Parts: sequence; C-alpha cells; structure tokens
Amino acid sequence: MFEYAWLIILSPLVGFLIAGLFGRYFPKHVGWVSVGSIGFSFVVALWLLIEVLQRGAIGAAVSEIATGVEWVPGIRFQLLIDNLSAFMLVLVSLLSTLIALYSIGYMAHEEGKPRYFAEICLFVAGMLGTVSADNFLQLLIFWEIMGLCSYLLIGFWYHKPEAASAAKKAFLVTRIGDVLFLFGVIAIQIIFGTLEFSGIQRQLAANWMNIDPRMLTLIPLLLFGGAVGKSAQFPLHLWLPDAMEGPTPVSALIHAATMVKAGVFLVARSFIFLVPTEEVAPGVREVIHGAVPWNAILIIAIIGGFTAFFAATMALANYDIKRVLAYSTISQLAYMFLGLGAGAWLLAEHGVEETAGYSAALFHLTNHAFFKALLFLAAGSVIHAVHTNDMREMGGLRKHLPITSLTMLLGALALSGFPGFSGFWSKDEILAVTFEAGSGNSLFTLLWIAGIGTAFMTAFYTFRLWFMTFAGKYRGHDEEHVHESPRVMTVPLMILAAFTIGSGAFAFLTNGWSNFVFYAAPHEQGPIDALAASPTLAIISVVVALGGIGLAALVYYRQTISAGVFTRSRAGASVHRLLSNRYYIDEGANQLARYGVVGVAAATDWFDRRVIDGAVNGIARGGAAASRASDWFDRRVVDGAVNAFSLTTVRSSLTARKRQTGRVQDYTAVIVFGLSIVIIVILIWRVVLPALGVP
Amino acid sequence: MIPLEYELILSALLFVIGLYGVLTRHNAIVVLMSIEIMFNAPILNLVAFSAYTGDAAGQMFALIAIALAAGEAAVGLAIFLVLYRAHGTVDLSRVRLLRW
Repeated sequence: MFEYAWLIILSPLVGFLIAGLFGRYFPKHVGWVSVGSIGFSFVVALWLLIEVLQRGAIGAAVSEIATGVEWVPGIRFQLLIDNLSAFMLVLVSLLSTLIALYSIGYMAHEEGKPRYFAEICLFVAGMLGTVSADNFLQLLIFWEIMGLCSYLLIGFWYHKPEAASAAKKAFLVTRIGDVLFLFGVIAIQIIFGTLEFSGIQRQLAANWMNIDPRMLTLIPLLLFGGAVGKSAQFPLHLWLPDAMEGPTPVSALIHAATMVKAGVFLVARSFIFLVPTEEVAPGVREVIHGAVPWNAILIIAIIGGFTAFFAATMALANYDIKRVLAYSTISQLAYMFLGLGAGAWLLAEHGVEETAGYSAALFHLTNHAFFKALLFLAAGSVIHAVHTNDMREMGGLRKHLPITSLTMLLGALALSGFPGFSGFWSKDEILAVTFEAGSGNSLFTLLWIAGIGTAFMTAFYTFRLWFMTFAGKYRGHDEEHVHESPRVMTVPLMILAAFTIGSGAFAFLTNGWSNFVFYAAPHEQGPIDALAASPTLAIISVVVALGGIGLAALVYYRQTISAGVFTRSRAGASVHRLLSNRYYIDEGANQLARYGVVGVAAATDWFDRRVIDGAVNGIARGGAAASRASDWFDRRVVDGAVNAFSLTTVRSSLTARKRQTGRVQDYTAVIVFGLSIVIIVILIWRVVLPALGVP
Repeated sequence: MIPLEYELILSALLFVIGLYGVLTRHNAIVVLMSIEIMFNAPILNLVAFSAYTGDAAGQMFALIAIALAAGEAAVGLAIFLVLYRAHGTVDLSRVRLLRW
C-alpha cells in the first residue's frame, strides 16, 4: 500500500552515492544534490503523512507495513508506517532539507564539500531509516549508520586535533549506549523470538506471565541505555558539547533533526515494553498492569529530570555560543525523557486514555527540532560573520545581522517557553504531566520542581546568550567586516522561524497533539483544556520563564546587576568554577581512562605476562625437558645399542681380517686344516668308535 | 701282484709330499709342480682300485684325470705368465691381492 515510502530512504542514499562518487566533478554545486535528494524525501514524506492522516481523519490509528524483502529468515526488512513514523519522516526530512540548504552558504568556502554533502545525505538516510524501521534490528542498523555519520561529520575538519578527538569521543561515548541497545535487541530476540514491534506487542500480551519480570524491567532499560548514549543524557552526555567542533550546520543536524532525537524516538517506540497493552475488543486496548516495569519507568523519568537540571546549570557559565546551545539540547532532551517517563507512569496507572505525557514529549521533540535548528543555524550565521564562538567577543550584532538577530530572538523565546511560542505549549504540558504523576509517586513532584528550576535556568541562559551576542556594544575586532549572511543561509532561518512560531499551533489542529502521534488511544483534550485544567501550573511556568528572561535582561542588557555579583562570594566563585569545568566530569572521565583503563590494561598486561605467558613458557619448558629426556634416551639407549652393535662388529672384524693375509698358501693351509678335521672326525666316527665298540 | 695297501700308502705319501710343497714353497712354478704331484695321488688310487676290483672304469677315469691335469697345468702356467707380466714376480709370498 505504502510501498512508495521506500523512496523516502532511498532518495538520500542515491544522493549520498552521487555526491560521494561524482561530487568531485562539480564541487561548487554538489550541495544541491543533497538538498534535492533530501527535499524529494520531504515531498514524498509529506504525501505519505497526508495519506496516513486521511485514513480516517486525524486520530485514527494507522499501522501499515511497506513490504520489503526477507533479509534473513524471520527478519523482514520493511517499513512501518504509522502516525508516529509518518510524522517523524516529515519532520526529519524538512529540517534536513533546510539545514542542507543552509550548508550550501555556510560551507561555500570550504574544501571537501562532496564529502560533507555525501555524509549529510547518509546521515539523513540513517535517521529516516531509524524512524521508519519495522523491527529493532533494522532500527539498530540505521542507528549505527547515524553513529558513523556523526563521527565523520563531527570530525569533518579532521586536521584539527580538537575536532578529531571530539569525533572520537562522540563515537566512543555513544558506543557505550549502542552496546547496551544491542544487548537489549539480543534479549528481545531470545525472549520474544521476534524483533517486529507488532509481534512483540502480541507476544507480550499473550505470554507476559511466563516471562521473568526482571527481564521485563531490564529490556526497556537496555533500550533506554542506547537512548542515553544517543541523546547525550547523564552520564553519557560528555560527547555532545565537544561535538560542537564540527561545522555548525552539522551541530544543527545532530541536535535538531537527527541523532539525539533518535534516542527519544527509541524510548517512544519502547513504550510497547513500558506500557504493554492488549486488545480486549476490536479497536479497544487496555493496559496489562502486571507487565508494567514500574522501576524502569521511574529510572527513565529520574534520569530525564536530573539531566534536565544538571545540563541547564552547565549552560549558565559557558561563554561558547554553541556549547550553551549544546547544553540546552541535553537539557531539553531530558525534558522529553521526563515527559515520556511521567507519561508512561500515568498511562500505566490510569489506562489508555491518559496519553498526554507521550504526546507532550513528542510534541516537545517537534518544537525543539524547529527552534533548536533555528538557534543553531542562527548561531552559525553569527559565527560565520564574526569568526569566533566566544560570546565575550560578540555583542551589538543586532544592527549588523538584523535577520539573524530577529530569527534568533524568536528561537530564544520559544526555547525559554514564552507564552504563545511553541516551547511554551509542549514544555508546560510535560511539566503538567509530571506534576500529575506526582500524585501517584511523590518522586515525580521532586522531578517537577527540578523541571521548574530548569525552566527558569533555560530562560536565563537563553537570553544571556541573546543579549551577550546581539545587545550592547561590539567587543570583538574588525567591526567593518561583520555582515549579514547570504540569502541561502537566511532563507532557511526565516522558514524555521515561521515554523518555530507556528509549530505550537499544531496542538490546536490536532487536539493537543496526541491525536497525531498517540500510542494507545487518541484523546480529546485540547491544549487550552490542559491549561485550563491546571491554571496554577501554567501560571507558575509563565512566571518562571518571564523571571529568567527578566533576570538575564537585568544582568546582560540593562546591566543594573553586575554579572560579578554571582561570582563574588567564595561559594559563588566555587560554584562558577564547578560549572565552567562541567562538574569535572570530563576530567573525571579522563582520569578514569588514565588510571582505570590504564590500570586494567596494566593488570591485563601483568596477567598476560605472568599467567598466560607463564603457562605457555611452562608448557614450553616441560616440552623442552621431555624432549631432553627423550633425546638422552635416544642418544644413550637407542644410539648406544646401535653403536655398541656396530662397534663390536667393527672391532671383531678388525681382529678377524688379520687372518685374511692375501697369501694363497695361508688359505690353502686353512683349507687343509679344515679338511683334516673333517677327515679326523670321519675317522673317529666310522673307524675308531666302532673299533672301541661304541654303537 | 702288489698288495693294495702299498699302492694306497704310496698314494698318500704322494699327496702329502705334494701338499707340503704347495704349503711351503714360494715359487709359483714349484707350487704348480707340487699340485701336479698331489694330482697323481688320486690317479694312482683310481688305477689301484681298478686293478683290485677288476673294473676297467677306474682306468678310464684315470686317463681323463691325466688329460684334465694337463689342461690344468696349462691354465696354471698361463695365469702365472700373466701374474709375472703384471707384477714382475711369481713369488707367491709377495703377491697378496686376495686380501681385505
């Protein structure tokens, strides 16, 4: 039915091949191959989404398979087209198209453009394949393609040692998560005998009482481990800030459209484990309470809530424009995990109607994708103009970069959750869901407080960034060279700005978004209903956002409060030092690597030398001793016998040969002697003995 | 008629004398001559027994043996001639080829 969905993945792959193989013949225009192939994917994906939504208007579950090939027996390589994947395809391809378009301008003066655009295409193909995978193995394959591309693109300037090591770091840190994910996939295959989402759901509904409940908790946690690596959650968040060494459009791609979003998507897909449902009647699903892994849900929510707060604090003290955005990405992704965790809890507790958390998280994913792409591309535009990442050397750029500053302001408002902007709707909904889950488990109340604190810090650091960059006086040098970016870069910014404002409106179109991407059942509550249901919560989050923005304005715009106030006291200074050193976690990881890994290596080395080599040498020594004994036996006994024999022969022949004189008469004498004896014997025998009377 | 024992004793004496010559003399020619003496001992025996038994076959054998002895002497002399050519001597104590 939806077989043409394959085009969505194949088109960027073809673009990858063209740009990679033939791009060097037209390096100036190779970017358009990328834009064209991903853009084509977007068109097909949009068509697919419209088709899916028409299947019974918005709110009807569609779950279709685009048939593929049987790859290995039991595992079919095919696409799952449901509301979630159809929507993700559109989102990813749209953002990637805009980012590729922007890259044409950003990378105009760079070497190696064919490589860059080929890798972009492959990256996007990996993400599109991940979101449309029908089974966990296929998902893992495309997931790993993305891991590879992130490595290649972060290390695009591979001659820069920082970029090379950042790429290596990204690859190695996400690898930890990927290995967990792989274990999860293996566990699923062993326990359920299938990797297809629908098959697993059926198996789980039919057999959950026969499955070890520890496995039911472990599997979603292993999958979440993969998501933690990919989405840079604590404690695997180390790679994302360093990934800023790559070109800025790549950062935008990683942070907005691909890569980190895959982790959220994976957790959304693993809802089949978090909140297992069964079909009690056609079209009616109910939660299987016995099979809900409550601890796994709690862990996901706690990691989310903690990382949100933790990453936001690190963003407060950073001066690198891209790193601030990177920490904010970690923090915002953590919001999504918090939303998914709280949503899963509510869903499991209250039944299938309560899908607000799931949809809020995915709504936030969408909004975040737009405004974070916008912020990164705008930051890239700024960097393109001033050739530095350090915000201390910016300032007052508003008059030089009018379009960039305006679009970035819109992105910043959305990120800080300013009422009416997209971030407000989704973030508020996540916080509301978390608060609501607090009535079931008070831990969620704590997480809600962390979320509120994060919202305040988010608003503060976002506007700190904006004010430091665009307001005040220029603090860098060569002001006359600062100019607005070319049209090919500003147009994507404007399109993204429109989406940033507009994506909040999706919620109104689809009754609180959940009818777009619902998991168990569509629900009726619109965004205004959600706000009206808990006006206090909405007011709190608005106040917090405005408070953060206001504080940033006071410190960095009006400068009525000096920034030094925060670092003047000893405690403040040490907090600042702690934050700007990223809680010393990177150093800790390095020390761990230095002492832990090297220690393990030394221990292994010792073991290798002493035990294994010792064993080998012992065996060798034993063999040598045995062969020496054998040698001794051979020489002494066997050779001795042989030599003794030959020596005796030689000696006796030496004696005997003396009788052989060569003189004829000697021989004759011997003959005569012998003959005489014969004659004497005959004589005795025949004559003497008879004569003596012997018989 | 001469008794058989006398003839046998004569024959034995001839044999022993010839044997003594073969074993003691150094000159190959003398050794050959001694062999001829030894040869005569059995021939004499043949004749003696032929006369004793009255069977003429013994005399026939004796004649054949004499003829063979002539051939043997001829062959022996030819060998010594060649020996002399090769070594310049017919002294048997100095010709030591039949050794290790």
